[in-house]
Amino acid sequence: MHSALVRIQNVFGFFTTVAFSVAAVIALSTFIHPQNPSSSIALNNVQVVNGRPHYYSYKKEEYAHIKFDLDADLSSLFNWNTKQVFLYLKAVYPSTKRGEPQSEAVIWDAILPGAAAPWNQNHYIHPTPKTQSKLKSSKKSKDKAASPYPRGIIKISNQRPKYQITDITGKLQNRTDVRLELGWNVQPWVGALLWTNSHDFGTWKALEGGQSEPFDFPVKGKKTDLRTAKGKEGHRLMAGEEQPVRKSG
Amino acid sequence: MADQLLDQVRDAVEGQIDFEGQKLAELITTVLLGGVGILAFIVGFMTQDIKLSLYIGLAGTALTFLAVVPPWPFYNKNPEGWLPPHKGASTVQINVDGQKVG
Repeated sequence: MHSALVRIQNVFGFFTTVAFSVAAVIALSTFIHPQNPSSSIALNNVQVVNGRPHYYSYKKEEYAHIKFDLDADLSSLFNWNTKQVFLYLKAVYPSTKRGEPQSEAVIWDAILPGAAAPWNQNHYIHPTPKTQSKLKSSKKSKDKAASPYPRGIIKISNQRPKYQITDITGKLQNRTDVRLELGWNVQPWVGALLWTNSHDFGTWKALEGGQSEPFDFPVKGKKTDLRTAKGKEGHRLMAGEEQPVRKSG
Repeated sequence: MADQLLDQVRDAVEGQIDFEGQKLAELITTVLLGGVGILAFIVGFMTQDIKLSLYIGLAGTALTFLAVVPPWPFYNKNPEGWLPPHKGASTVQINVDGQKVG
């Protein structure tokens, strides 16, 4: 502490220690926030159609197009250390061969921002329910990005998937025991990434009703244009344009 | 002239403080930074606002730098003087391996 340079080093050195300690305490403080997430997932409609992985492909594959209803209360996942929650819904179905693990494929996902997260175009905006849309229409012009529900509450029905799924074999029709499963990844400001609570852990309760009833993939239907929903990340930087453009549809 | 100027600049940059001042600077660093860390967590937790924690922590650190790094006068209240010069025969006895050298 004799000269100014030594004092700078000393103060900065202790600052890093304090910053790390405070970050560690913040990370640990999330464990005393009780979590009691609950959800109910239901299949709305499932169709299997022929398709190809991309336009120039000769390979024909069967694609499942799953519409679903989701009613979830994940508000307890949001505490002061939550930056964002990546929420996803996957279809889980057993393999046709014994001893092989089950297949899991994501059909829909959303990025739910925490309270302190700055605005981002990829954040999920909850659709306004039809019964409320008339009431809110006047308000909507002012506050376009606001969700009709509080943070972490999802109530969507007859939702189109964002991704239609296929199997590694290319065959999906008549597969049985398919379930829809909700999963998430809590991304904190500081600390560890946390995935779906499958078991109770202290004040954290396991996810209630994270699975749908089992259903079967139907026989392949006529080839129709089954549209998927575009997420907010449908924004892409187009060549020759400065601003990201949201693709229509 | 140039030498004087360079000496002044060097003194200002080095910012030397005395022994008591060093002890005090060390204490102020520990107390201030530690307190700021605790305060940042408590205020952030109470308001459930992590950005507030961040800003309190950074502001407190800036304050600590300001308080400790420059050679403030209160760090130089107990300057250590030189020993008085002695002429001719030394009054100080220096022994090296039993032989008087000083």
